[in-house]
Amino acid sequence: MNRPVKTGPAELARQILHQSDGPLTRQLVRTPGGFGLGQVPERLAPDATTTAVCGFCSTGCGLEVHLKGGAAINLSPARDYPVNIGMACPKGWEALAPLRAKDRGTVPLLRNAHGELAPVSWPVALDTFTQRMKAIQKKHGPASVAFLSTGQIPTEEMALLGALTKFGMGMVHGDGNTRQCMATAVVAYKQAFGFDAPPYSYRDFEESDVLVFVGANPCIAHPILWERVCKNSHSPEIIVVDPRRTETAMAATQHLALAPKSDLALFYGIAKCLIERGYLDQEFIARSVSGFEAFAAHVADYDLAATSEATGLAPDVIERVVDTIGRGKRVSFWWTMGVNQSHEGVRLAQALINLALITGNIGRPGTGANSITGQCNAMGSRLFSNTTNLLGGHDFGNPDHRAKIANILQIDESLIQQEDGLDYDQIMERIMAGKIKALWVVATNPAHSWINQADAQDILSRLEFLVVQDMYTSTETATRAHLYLPAAGWGEKEGTFINSERRISLLKKVARAPGEALADFYIFKLIADAWGCGDMFRGWSSPEAAFEIMRELSRGQPCDITGITGYDMLDDRRGVQWPLKEGEDVEVKSERRLFEDGHFFHSDGRARLLFEAPRAVPEPTDEKYPFVLLSGRGSSSQWHTQTRTGKSAVLRKLYPSEPYVEVSPVDASKLELQPNEWVTVESRRGKYRARVHVTHVVRPGQVFVPMHYPTANLLTLAAFDPYSRQPSYKHCAVRLEKIDAFG
Amino acid sequence: MSIPAASPALLVPSPEASETKRRLPLVAQYLRSQQDLTAVERFARRHSAEELPNHQHYKELIPLTRPRTGEQYAFQVDLDACTGCKACVSACHHLNGLDEAEAETWRSVGLLHGGTPAVPVQQTVTTACHHCLDPACMKGCPVNAYEKSAETGIVRHLDDQCIGCQYCTLTCPYEVPQYSKSRGIVRKCDMCGDRLANGEAPACVQACPNEAISIRIVDVARALEEAQVDAFLPGAPSPGITVPTTSYVTERVFPRNMLPADFYTVRQGHQHFPLVIMLVLTQLSVGAFVVDFALERLSSGAWVTESRPYHALVGLAMGLLALGASTLHLGRPHLAFRAVVGLRTSWLSREILAFGAFAGSAVLYTLLCWYTSVDRQIGLPGVDAAVRGKLVNALGWAVATSGLGGILCSVMLYAVTGRRWWSAGRTMVRFGLTALVLGLATTLVTSCVVAVALNRFEEFSWAGVKLCWALAAATVTKLLVDGSVMANLYDKQLTELKRTAMLVRGELKKVAALRVGVALVAGVLLPLVLAEQLRGTSAVGSVVTVVVLSASFLGLLLGEMIERALFFKASSAPKMPGAF
Repeated sequence: MNRPVKTGPAELARQILHQSDGPLTRQLVRTPGGFGLGQVPERLAPDATTTAVCGFCSTGCGLEVHLKGGAAINLSPARDYPVNIGMACPKGWEALAPLRAKDRGTVPLLRNAHGELAPVSWPVALDTFTQRMKAIQKKHGPASVAFLSTGQIPTEEMALLGALTKFGMGMVHGDGNTRQCMATAVVAYKQAFGFDAPPYSYRDFEESDVLVFVGANPCIAHPILWERVCKNSHSPEIIVVDPRRTETAMAATQHLALAPKSDLALFYGIAKCLIERGYLDQEFIARSVSGFEAFAAHVADYDLAATSEATGLAPDVIERVVDTIGRGKRVSFWWTMGVNQSHEGVRLAQALINLALITGNIGRPGTGANSITGQCNAMGSRLFSNTTNLLGGHDFGNPDHRAKIANILQIDESLIQQEDGLDYDQIMERIMAGKIKALWVVATNPAHSWINQADAQDILSRLEFLVVQDMYTSTETATRAHLYLPAAGWGEKEGTFINSERRISLLKKVARAPGEALADFYIFKLIADAWGCGDMFRGWSSPEAAFEIMRELSRGQPCDITGITGYDMLDDRRGVQWPLKEGEDVEVKSERRLFEDGHFFHSDGRARLLFEAPRAVPEPTDEKYPFVLLSGRGSSSQWHTQTRTGKSAVLRKLYPSEPYVEVSPVDASKLELQPNEWVTVESRRGKYRARVHVTHVVRPGQVFVPMHYPTANLLTLAAFDPYSRQPSYKHCAVRLEKIDAFG
Repeated sequence: MSIPAASPALLVPSPEASETKRRLPLVAQYLRSQQDLTAVERFARRHSAEELPNHQHYKELIPLTRPRTGEQYAFQVDLDACTGCKACVSACHHLNGLDEAEAETWRSVGLLHGGTPAVPVQQTVTTACHHCLDPACMKGCPVNAYEKSAETGIVRHLDDQCIGCQYCTLTCPYEVPQYSKSRGIVRKCDMCGDRLANGEAPACVQACPNEAISIRIVDVARALEEAQVDAFLPGAPSPGITVPTTSYVTERVFPRNMLPADFYTVRQGHQHFPLVIMLVLTQLSVGAFVVDFALERLSSGAWVTESRPYHALVGLAMGLLALGASTLHLGRPHLAFRAVVGLRTSWLSREILAFGAFAGSAVLYTLLCWYTSVDRQIGLPGVDAAVRGKLVNALGWAVATSGLGGILCSVMLYAVTGRRWWSAGRTMVRFGLTALVLGLATTLVTSCVVAVALNRFEEFSWAGVKLCWALAAATVTKLLVDGSVMANLYDKQLTELKRTAMLVRGELKKVAALRVGVALVAGVLLPLVLAEQLRGTSAVGSVVTVVVLSASFLGLLLGEMIERALFFKASSAPKMPGAF
């Protein structure tokens, strides 16, 4: 604003009495930001920008980082990114805040003779690591040392960790926290499609005329995916299957508030009805699906009355869903943790896959049986962590695969184990049994997140040597460590993440790590060197060099990425979805789906219908524990165990600081509970205090707790899906007890 | 939690060991490259410094034209699209460069819920400044630090003009102005006015993934018409207070039991400690002058006239202390003088003016009383005694009226917030009785001390009995008036006053009990016992009387301070629907 400048005593007096400009006003002045940004705060005006993929969830939003002198000073969602199209949830907006937290680890810490964690130099930390690990391996065998990894670090780091531990250090067992979120989808896809291959692109949200969300609350858990639903111009029918009246259920056209864990029966009932009413794609089934006859016979028992009985849903509600799906031209099925974290999750996910297959809703725009992933790089972990799969989605048990990998990595084939290692729960059991003595935990927090914390704490306390590698010294697990290694976080290092729609995107180094914190990649390299196997990883000289190796590892696989020439291509194309074979190219912002040719990855090219009778829940309610405990995401501003989201003052403002429990007014009235009152929530395994949020959002007989408070897993029951070994976090029996307000 | 060191058999390597030393170069190399920021040099620049923003994606969310006469900009929220992601809150924070350490946010997201087990309903609600037609922040501001643009209707805060009195945080029913302790000022949403002027959407509008927030042009007359009905948003304060311009639109029909998720949360108000001191001491001061003024006209004792300078001095000292304390409440006290500009609209300005006049006249009055007193004893040159008498009388009236006027301003200051607990009647009685109780107690103790010193204790006894009785009666009345709010515990609705009563009975019960106990002892028991003694004979000694009256005074002062703390802490502020 160019006002004429006045001077003189009268003006001075006016300024003193009424000052409309000055230093305080200027603190909030906005200025054109350049770089296509629009106005930005003047004091945070950038001199360059660059796009990096967000490091919280698997949506994989592009964030435009505002840089000054090469360092991040602010960010905004990238407008030209095909995933999020200029939007982000609060976690994305706040992505820089957790980097500046006071409890960042700045030096390695070693527990001393007084039982306290005390600073040590990196060389001492590295030698301690190798000497203790080797001593334990020498005494108890190579398998007595294991690792727990994560879906939160770049794929290059996962691959290096997996190769280092299993080929360099001789470990046999290692798993990721992805076991807690995605294992079910992995197994379901592998069995049904022949490869762990989520088939969709986010464009399918916009192109469906019917969207079915099962055990998913994208409005809160994946707000940017909900943005894509909002961009659907076909006035779609939105069917939400969830016991709670979630934000997404509110936005749905049909909400099926079914009895908890009656979902498998529901989908078999729907399948039977679809078959009966002729809503089938016979041609597609004949060409691309195997096992239809057996499936039809299996679901024959699930008639409408029985389904209604099992689910508590009125028959006409179920019929309406059947007709909606049957008449839909482009029906897509979407699921998240409500399906994956179930005692019968694999069959449940496959029940949805089956619905898509028999109605021919796959491989076309707006269709698919689509698992929405959780962590930013769970998809990377699924292909390259070298835990459940041999690097690149290969099979440890397949000699050809072992030879191929050994050849690419130029290592002795005998270094590759011939059998799968143990899963997370089995590693925990093995620690309990005293067989595993040392554990290396990287960027995950089992002392909060693992199911049934009373047991988990006991298990962790039995370790002779617990190494925790994390950004923060304060996580529930880091405070238990014998050795703590300070890690750089998102934004402080390079690498790639793979999102839910298989898009490989770049993260970039835009902030300096505090103190002596190092990228996990460097830590792994240092450990390789200290261990004495540094030469084996000479080729892994940088994250981008590791990416080159990953490309080779993927050659010929369904996840072939040999066509991605390097980081520049990822940056330029705004991420690239797998597969992309050598010589192929994609346009900028391309969105692609799988199975458009109706050909699946089993040797016969067909997808398989897999099914099994529903099993009773492991812990039904009874007189003593009359409520079903549901758990899930509390708000869009909370992420998992809150080690990062808890570090942003703005995010902290956006969720309740105290644990709470949602209770139906019907039950509150029976128990004489007042809103906001404190209650004890108790299961057979533990109890804690929570505030009562009295709301019809939960149905009578059920209560809901968010998972982000460390107390939630005091209650949960360690039950697992038999195929995926994923914990069933979302069902157990609890009771509530009133606490005297002033007592 | 004590965790033993890892198995003692495994020794920590010495940093001096040659093997350990060998690692240094590699560690150093990685630590160095860790600090290199590579994004800029490594990757191609996608955007140039000159590249203009692309406004396409929000062009339907902001008006194409500027408001005409009788129109203004307003937020519109499509409730059917708001699903509670809260991106608007953090986008506003980052695109406007708000304070990170203080977690400053200009938007918030609340939750409404209701319905039945069969048809449950929940609705998230994003909210910011409503850029009201009649902004309470602006009307309350003593320094005109708010401007409502005649062209756009945007209510803008002038950060450099603000003195940090925080009065707007009490008058705004929507918790919009946010006080920044480090800066000593409040700040608030300006609807990104300069973005709009530039054809850009406000941060929140740009950032909502579901396009739930937009800027619309509203007709002022229409907004006023709509404010006639309490249908702004379930659970929100009545739009009649400030006429907010935001419109919340939905195609849904909300059930009648739709309530904010924080509806049953009963929150304590802010303490405002300097205001507690300021209010109680100004009322004490005014009360002391007024009671003394009245006493002179009702009693003929010579000790009354002779003790007047002392009364005046005590009253003045308390008054000045109060005004000193009041500046502690300001974020930027050195700019307090700016309050003169707000007289036309702000009760705070008027309060400052009235108490300024009170302090000024009280100083003159006190000087003149002392002059007279000294003159009577030793004879001073100057004004004729008769003229001087008239002057003292006139100044006395000036002190009394400006002081009472100041208290009236204090009353109005809180009354205009619309809070029921601070209603004009209730606050008038409350502040008036504080002035009376503390005025009586001050007069009693001062008179008694002077009477003893002048050896006229006998004369004092007669008036003392009357004053003691008056004090006890005033204290009892005050306790009854204060306590009457407890009747609201039986309200069927969770009204503002019921919330207050719940706080007093619940979280604040110990404080409230202390207040009542102290007042009963200091304001009722001690005066009545003393009155009985004084009336009987001179069985009670003068020294004992001074001690008892001092105790009574201090107790009452403490009691009134606690009462005033409860005035703030037990106040239930109106607010927009909050989250659980």
